[in-house]
Amino acid sequence: MSTPSAKISSRWTTFVVAGLAAIAVVWSLAINGAAEHNHRPVLSVLLGSMFWVSVLIGMLMLTMITRIFDAGWAPVIRRSWEFMIGALPLVLLLSIVPLAFIPSFRNLLWEWTDATHLLPSGHEVGHDPILQAKSWFLNPTFFLVRISLYVVFFGAITWALRRFSFQQDKHRDANLTHRMHAISAVGIPASAIMLTMLAFDCLMALSYHWFSTMYGVWFFALSIRLALATTVIVTYRLSNGGWLDGILNQAHRHVLGCLMLAFTVFWAYISFSQYFLIYTANIPEETFWYNIREFNPVTGLKSDWWGVSMYLIFGFFFLPFLSLLFYRSKIIAGRLLTIAGIIFVGGIFDLWFNAVPRQINNASAPEGFVVSPFLSGYLALDLLAIFGFGALVIGLFLRSSTKAETIPVHDPRILESINYHE
Amino acid sequence: MNERNESIHGVACTFRSPSDVFHAAEKVRDAGWKSWDVHTPFPIHGMDQAMGLPRSKVPRLTLLGGVTGFITGCLLTWFMNSYDYPLVVGGKPFWSPIFPFPVMYECTILFAAFGTFFGQFILNRLPRHHHPLFDLPQFARTSDDTFMIVLEARDKNFHLDESRNFLLSLGGQEITVIRE
Repeated sequence: MSTPSAKISSRWTTFVVAGLAAIAVVWSLAINGAAEHNHRPVLSVLLGSMFWVSVLIGMLMLTMITRIFDAGWAPVIRRSWEFMIGALPLVLLLSIVPLAFIPSFRNLLWEWTDATHLLPSGHEVGHDPILQAKSWFLNPTFFLVRISLYVVFFGAITWALRRFSFQQDKHRDANLTHRMHAISAVGIPASAIMLTMLAFDCLMALSYHWFSTMYGVWFFALSIRLALATTVIVTYRLSNGGWLDGILNQAHRHVLGCLMLAFTVFWAYISFSQYFLIYTANIPEETFWYNIREFNPVTGLKSDWWGVSMYLIFGFFFLPFLSLLFYRSKIIAGRLLTIAGIIFVGGIFDLWFNAVPRQINNASAPEGFVVSPFLSGYLALDLLAIFGFGALVIGLFLRSSTKAETIPVHDPRILESINYHE
Repeated sequence: MNERNESIHGVACTFRSPSDVFHAAEKVRDAGWKSWDVHTPFPIHGMDQAMGLPRSKVPRLTLLGGVTGFITGCLLTWFMNSYDYPLVVGGKPFWSPIFPFPVMYECTILFAAFGTFFGQFILNRLPRHHHPLFDLPQFARTSDDTFMIVLEARDKNFHLDESRNFLLSLGGQEITVIRE
């Protein structure tokens, strides 16, 4: 291992300590908020972790997809994904698990888990016929079973993919590649179901009246976009004085750029289709979700969420889409890094858009509720949470890099990957 | 150039191996040739750079087609639903960017595909039913076991004897003059 990359890896403790400190600050504010029945700081914990859960699930899917397609370009980059996804179980354990298992947090975030919660109509959640019809799925017991299942499943699959890949460094055994093929063949559909339910439970169920069968696919598309953006940012750093220095070449960037373009279009296709179908069908149980993201129910005028949705269309879709159309944007490292940064930031806005707006009871409002605003001091807390979980993820990523070879030296396709050519 | 060159298409030269033809191509490129080509039985990685070929211009025509398609889709839906025959459908506006979006992007894709397909047709100067190279017996073997470089007479560097010697100096095997 060369000295500069060993130096990078040795910084892992700094990252982990900074991450845990930030997470502790966010959690303490969340605990204070919960004591005052304020859900918003609790939501910051969920948002910060969901951002990184999304990144890591995207990397998990990319790891398995490149395995199953035997992608020749992938091995040198896939090892970094394998380092990264090891953090997934811990991120879940530090956020979604306590949020779901401790009733005072759970009842604030997922109001349907508290049967006595009052709706804007003045009725209790437990008497809501819409919830009663869904209660076979949306009941606290099954919810907790599912949350536990996510931790066990993602823990197991990331453990297996990492273990066999790291074993290959020592044993030079091509059969391990076949075994990881098999794990990926089972793991891709299984992870697809798991990430769909995770998106349903952790994000869609924040507003239990609303439902969209495309939500899981939206989450998948967002995850892959964020995973690719993070990969571009991380590999950029690693190719300037890290373990990918002199290894990452123009053709690798081109592949990552092409994938970013493809999944930018895919994300837009899914997000637009979801809006389009709800707009066309015009069913009240569905349209309210977009209405509270466009109008202020008190004044009837466009709210700041409308600005966020415009940002998503133009800043998170058109800007990266149009820039990535050009070949040179995909091969010039600085340009690709900028576009990855745009996607990374846009992903935060997309999560804000999906998770934050909710109807809050207010007797003086004409419709009995107001909508939580976009612009508030809690945005800083959300960003602190994203920073905290991010620093933890990067710290664990660097720690993994001290435990195994930084590129899979005995992968059957390692030479093809290093000499990858457009 | 003498008068005889009017009927000459160029000079073809065969090479034995991919590396021979690859290095010969680099030297032809460095000598400043523009109208020439390499024929190989299979794609050789890096040949684009060895020949000094610029990137294809087809993507620009694809983009042009896509933008044209998008505007066509907008105008089409606006003209039909809002101008020529306004119809109320589901209480939606006569025209908005939302409901006709599938039409707009389908037009974008269709016109982008037209731009790509007809763009490459035009840039490749297709259709073309015959080419002087087809008369060359060795040319058929470039789809089997022979590599070939062709220097065309329309290039300003072309001079029959000099070009022939140039190709031989690059390690060429068999030189043939191609007549129109």
